[in-house]
Amino acid sequence: MQMTNKPLAIALLLVTSCALAQSPGKKAPSVTMAPVEPVTVTRGKGGAVSLHFRVASGFHINSNTPKSEFLIPTALKMDAPTDIVLTKLTYPQGAEMSFPFAPNEPLSVYSGDFTVSMTVRPLHTVQPGKYAIHGDLKYQACDNAACYPPKHLPVDFEVKVLKGATPAGKNPAQSPHAHR
Amino acid sequence: MKRNPAALFFVAAVVAAMLFVGFHAARRAGGDASADSLDVAGKPAPDFTLQSLDGKNIQLSSYKGQAVLLNFWATWCGPCKIEMPWFVELQKEYGPQGLQIVGVAMDDASKDEITKFVKEMGVNYTILLGKESVGQEYGGVNVLPTTFFIDRDGKIVAREFGLQSRSLFVDNIKKALSQGHAVQAQK
Repeated sequence: MQMTNKPLAIALLLVTSCALAQSPGKKAPSVTMAPVEPVTVTRGKGGAVSLHFRVASGFHINSNTPKSEFLIPTALKMDAPTDIVLTKLTYPQGAEMSFPFAPNEPLSVYSGDFTVSMTVRPLHTVQPGKYAIHGDLKYQACDNAACYPPKHLPVDFEVKVLKGATPAGKNPAQSPHAHR
Repeated sequence: MKRNPAALFFVAAVVAAMLFVGFHAARRAGGDASADSLDVAGKPAPDFTLQSLDGKNIQLSSYKGQAVLLNFWATWCGPCKIEMPWFVELQKEYGPQGLQIVGVAMDDASKDEITKFVKEMGVNYTILLGKESVGQEYGGVNVLPTTFFIDRDGKIVAREFGLQSRSLFVDNIKKALSQGHAVQAQK
């Protein structure tokens, strides 16, 4: 950088910093999901899918099994095509954590990174190809002094179904459930 | 390539202005938690009518002449649970001086679940079933608990976001009780 541009660069940084300093002291709570690579599965067989989520720093959300009936559990609801079965939906165990607002009542929460896994099993009747799987993660976040209304995070990933070997004596194309 | 210093400074100023305007727009839309009470103090508390747990329609303005602590809360809100026993005590202590504590449940839970929760907490003050539209009137209420302190004339004295100290509540209650005209509440 040329010498003449240095003061200007500093001025730009300062002015921008001053503007950013106006931003709220508290960040909005958020949960994000890492992009998921397309999952390749042979029809009739199962394939594991792991969804990696991140809770924004300074916040926590209830685990899937919170300790009170009044707390809202983190829950993943998926909507898959009829012939692609999602099974073994597995949530991590929540961390037992105490917070200033309830020092004697540890809560079961997720904070930082957590992973929800499941098995994708396309039936023999599924036509080979790519399928979009949609869903949403419902969560309710809090920080050390406040809570925020429940939110839904869209969850999407792609399943690539391969033909694989046809079981002896079976012809999937003759199945009454075969996609045409 | 030569750069025009004035042009660069102009760009910096525009960027700063956009960030500033964007922040304030977001703050107005989202009920910013960091905003202090100053921007609502002295303004009339928006009136509303909501149903209580025993099925009565309660209008906020019916408490005119009394100071009101208006607390937005939810059954799933941990920090809200900490405040509730304080409110029970404060209602006993300051009720005779003209304080009415009103809790507005911003909950998806059913009326029965809210009633059960309130009973478990031993609440002795009015609980109303909240509506999104009422929350919007009070700035969105995107942070729970959010508490407004309203004087005897129906004007907002202070607003607090999140769990605060009991002493701050007491200070704000005293302020609300000392302002406006005490009249017989018409219910």
